[in-house]
Amino acid sequence: MRALAGPAMLLVMVGGFLVFRLTSKEDAPSRDFTALEFSGADADHTGTCYSLDTILIANRQGDAVRTWTSPRDDVWTLKIENVVGGYSGPVHIFQTYTFEKHDQQVRLTSVDASKGLPTEIAQNIDTLLEGPKAWRSTPIDRCLEPGATGYLFEPRR
Amino acid sequence: MVTRKTGYPIYVRILLLIASLLVLLPLTGCQRRLDEGEVREFIDKADNAARKRFAPEICELRGKDFELHLKFQGHEEQFEPTELTMDRKLFCKEAGKFSRLRQYKLERNSIEINLANDGKTARVKSEYVETLPYYEPDIMPATPDDFREFQLVETTDESVVGIESGDIVFLRTDSKSSQSLIAKNSVSLPYD
Repeated sequence: MRALAGPAMLLVMVGGFLVFRLTSKEDAPSRDFTALEFSGADADHTGTCYSLDTILIANRQGDAVRTWTSPRDDVWTLKIENVVGGYSGPVHIFQTYTFEKHDQQVRLTSVDASKGLPTEIAQNIDTLLEGPKAWRSTPIDRCLEPGATGYLFEPRR
Repeated sequence: MVTRKTGYPIYVRILLLIASLLVLLPLTGCQRRLDEGEVREFIDKADNAARKRFAPEICELRGKDFELHLKFQGHEEQFEPTELTMDRKLFCKEAGKFSRLRQYKLERNSIEINLANDGKTARVKSEYVETLPYYEPDIMPATPDDFREFQLVETTDESVVGIESGDIVFLRTDSKSSQSLIAKNSVSLPYD
């Protein structure tokens, strides 16, 4: 028994450390979720040729705070907030996007935002797509093939 | 002198000691009572962290559920004051932006400390004047020196401080600020 006391104590400490790390880690969707193709704003939810991950990276604002929460399975909400200087003083601005998994795609299903920012879903999808276009981001594998099509997608020449 | 051997190897005894200390550590926080001297020392430390504009140090003095509520009257009095609430995460991000300033002065004009009866928290009311560059909204400064006026921000802070994990931290701060502008050449602030 005595020979086991040391390793057992070590196990407790390592276990405690791992529990601490796991519980203190911030919530975020798995790679399986963010690697899904982002759906377009048309009625058929045509794929945009970009993964959610690519969309979010291309739209990243360095100064903003990002917080992920998951209200239920396969649904993730991303809140992006910042404080900007206005003529009347500092102003808190935010946008909250809700993404839902549908088959092999992820759809933007609702948008909440501070005063003055758009909450219309189609408008937000189109705005989000401007990021990867401007950065000439890499599309998902399906859209690397010649002749591939997607919502507002312009293949590289 | 009688000594008794436990029979455990030395590394097991060290591990047992560390584990016991880790278990007992949070209990020391439960028993601790604040006194006015250490609260004043804590506020001095927080003010110095602000003067250094070093975000990690500013941030670590805030509790995990810290909130700042700010009411800010800008220099253009025809506009209503803005009000906003920041949680710890947003506050810490803002502290990071604060570190970009190269000229900054913080003066504390008064401090008033009231300890709670149970000694676990204290209310601190303090008045400050900050002097810092005024960057006009909608204009991206090319360098930290790209500004025309300094802003004087007079602030009254009412904070609640308490003990978290054995350390004194800010639990909440309510700030009321008013801003005025002065010509850049009327103040001489060192670059640091």
